[in-house]
This record gives sequence, C-alpha cells and structure tokens, in this order.
Amino acid sequence: MLNEQSNDAFNYLYDNYSGAIYTIINQVVSDKDTANDVMQEVFVNIWRKINTYDATKGRLFTWMLNIARNAAIDKVRSKGYRDNQRNQPIAEGEDKGMVMSSNPAVSDVGLKKVLTTLNEEYRKLIDLSYFQGFTHEEIAKMMGIPLGTVKTRIRTAISQLRKMI
Amino acid sequence: MNIKEYISSGIVESYVLGLLTAQERFEFEKYCDAYPQLKEARTAFELALEKQAMENPIAPPAHLKQKIAAKIFDENKTTPVIPIQTARQRKFNWASFVAAASIILLVGSIWWIMNLKNENDKLKDNNAALQNSLKTSQDSIAQIIAEANHIQKEGMKMVGLNGTANSPKSFATVYWDTTSHDVYLLVNNLPKPASDEQYQLWALLKTNNQLQTIDLGMLQLSQKPLQVYKMTNAQAAQAFAITLEKKDGNPDPNLQKIYVMSDL
Repeated sequence: MLNEQSNDAFNYLYDNYSGAIYTIINQVVSDKDTANDVMQEVFVNIWRKINTYDATKGRLFTWMLNIARNAAIDKVRSKGYRDNQRNQPIAEGEDKGMVMSSNPAVSDVGLKKVLTTLNEEYRKLIDLSYFQGFTHEEIAKMMGIPLGTVKTRIRTAISQLRKMI
Repeated sequence: MNIKEYISSGIVESYVLGLLTAQERFEFEKYCDAYPQLKEARTAFELALEKQAMENPIAPPAHLKQKIAAKIFDENKTTPVIPIQTARQRKFNWASFVAAASIILLVGSIWWIMNLKNENDKLKDNNAALQNSLKTSQDSIAQIIAEANHIQKEGMKMVGLNGTANSPKSFATVYWDTTSHDVYLLVNNLPKPASDEQYQLWALLKTNNQLQTIDLGMLQLSQKPLQVYKMTNAQAAQAFAITLEKKDGNPDPNLQKIYVMSDL
C-alpha cells in the first residue's frame, strides 16, 4: 500500500516537473550525458529530502528548481567535469576572457530566453550569479567593481527581468 | 521600514531565485511573517516563474524516468520511504495508526485465545474428573443392584442374626439360597476385632438333641460394612452364628464368644 502511494507521488512529481527541472539543468551544464546524470541526482535528492521542504518558505517548484540549479552548478564546478571539458575542443568565440555560462546546451528557453532581452552587463551579472552560482563577492573580484555596486546592479537586473516574466 | 520599497528592490526575486546570502534570506523570511503583502509578492513571482518554466520545457529522455524510479525504489528497500509532507504540515499518519492498532488487536487476540485455551483445558480436566467419579458411582450402583437382585431372587431365605450378651448392639444378615445352597453374609454391625482375632460364620444343625456346627468360612479382615460377601455353601442349616476366633479360625466354634446368632 505504502509502495503504491510512493509510486503515485513519484509519478506526479516527475510527470509535472521533470521538463522544467531538465530545462534548468541544461541551462547550466553543456552536454546531455552530464545533464542526464544531474537529472537523476536531482530527483533522488528531491525524493530523499522532500520532508525538509517547508511550504511556509515557498512553493514546491521553487524549492525543486533551486535544488536542480545548485546540483547542476556543483557538477560544473566539480573536478571531474572540468577535466572532461578541458579535453573538448575549444568552441569558437569562447575565448573572450569572461566566459558566458559554460557553453550551455540550451539557451533559448526559460530564463535564458528572458535574459537575452537585458543589456550585456546585466545579462552577464545574472548569468554569473544565477547560472554559474558565483557569490556577489566573487563577481565583484572577477569584474573589478565594488561589492555594493554588484549588489545594486544585480537587483536592478532582476527587477528588469521581473517585468519580462 | 518601507515595505513597498523593499518589495520593489528586487529582493523578492533574488530570494526566489536563490541569490541571497544567508543573512538576507533570514531577514526576508522574518519580514514575510510580518508583512502579508511581501508574502503575496513572493508567491506572485514564484507563480510567474513556474508558469514561464513550464511553457517550453525540454523533455528529458524517456528512459530516464524508469532509471530514476528504479534508483529511488531500490534505495527504499533499505531506507524508509519519507512521506510527502513538511514538518509544519505533518498530517495524522493513518498507516502508522492502523499498523499500531493492528498490533494491539493481535496481541489482545492472542491473550484472549490463551485465556480461552486455559479455560478449555481446565474444563476438560474437570470433565474427566467428573467422568471418573460418575463411573465409580455407576459401578457401585451396578454392584448394589446385582447384589439386590441376587438376594431378592426366589428361594432366597433371609435370616437375621441378633446380637448376644457379648455384643447386644451387633447384627448381621445371612442370605441362604435354598436351591443352590449358596450363603451370603451382610454384616450390619460388629465390633472391630483385635489384630490377632477374626470372626467366623457357622451353620447350626440340631439332630437327636446333638448340636452340629458347620464352618462356613472366615469374615474378611478388610470387610466393608453393608456389603454382601459370598461364604461357603451350606447343604443344611437350622440357624447361623458368628463367633470371634483366633486369626484364620478354628475347626469348632468357641461357644462362649458368639457375637450374633439367629433363632434355631
């Protein structure tokens, strides 16, 4: 009985959210095999940690989306992934100093699509913080601008993004 | 704090997208509890984001679902299934309740059955004891009836033996079958003899003024009261008497020690 219930719950979660979750993963990682690995990790994690989800702090989808994004970013930053990427031929036009979000497999759907409506600087800030998971301090160092400025600009970028959504 | 300014500062979106520091996140959650409009703004952005994310999702490869399900449910064989509910929204767990109730019921039933079994065993023992007691009674009654039939049959002569001066209260009865000459003795009352003495039954015959005594046997030492015992046959008798003799008897009676005797 319990198993059937679990099965139903899993089917519900997967059938409703797997597309959106898979999309965000693909916006962070660049190849399908890795995306599939992350996808598995994410759903197993969601399943394991579902009892820590607190409905007073936000919707279930928001919670799952952040788990997926964080898992994808962790994968991109892992040593194994970076070593693997180094062996890949360098894609054209990818050597402009500041790399845009790790050459993601998908860039024309979801938030990424919305991002294209922002100006270059805002887009870069959102990309670094949201899709690459850098902290404001790290971004400030990378871009050589004060932390306060990074914070304000990201907020502004997000506010503009909000109007697009 | 100006909550409108706070809401429009981009903090809501940053919170939902997971871009705040731990400190900022903590503050935001605190304000959410205090300002309903902040919470509303948060939910509104979450819904917009969700809607947007659902619009053109990339479908994962079909084989992935099976693979993930297998991973989850294989793991569940060793780790318990965590029900979908939050700590704050914990619902009454019916499955646990039913399981607990079943165990209580089971233990209760076993206790009840054990009790019934003990009761049953006791009743069986009682029943067996009653059966035994009944059989003994029936045997006794059957014997009494047989004896009664025996001494009441036609040709049976009943002779009362009254107590003599030796023991005025004593009394015995002799049943003498005049056809088969069988003799039966019923002792109604005789004093208990000493351990080296024993009662002896005699038939008395008077021929030509000469008293003849015939030994009809010894009364058993363990003789029970009011029970009929078969004695030696008597071809002829005019009277019967019981004397107290030495153990195992004498060939002739000690006439001084006649305890009971019938009329001649």
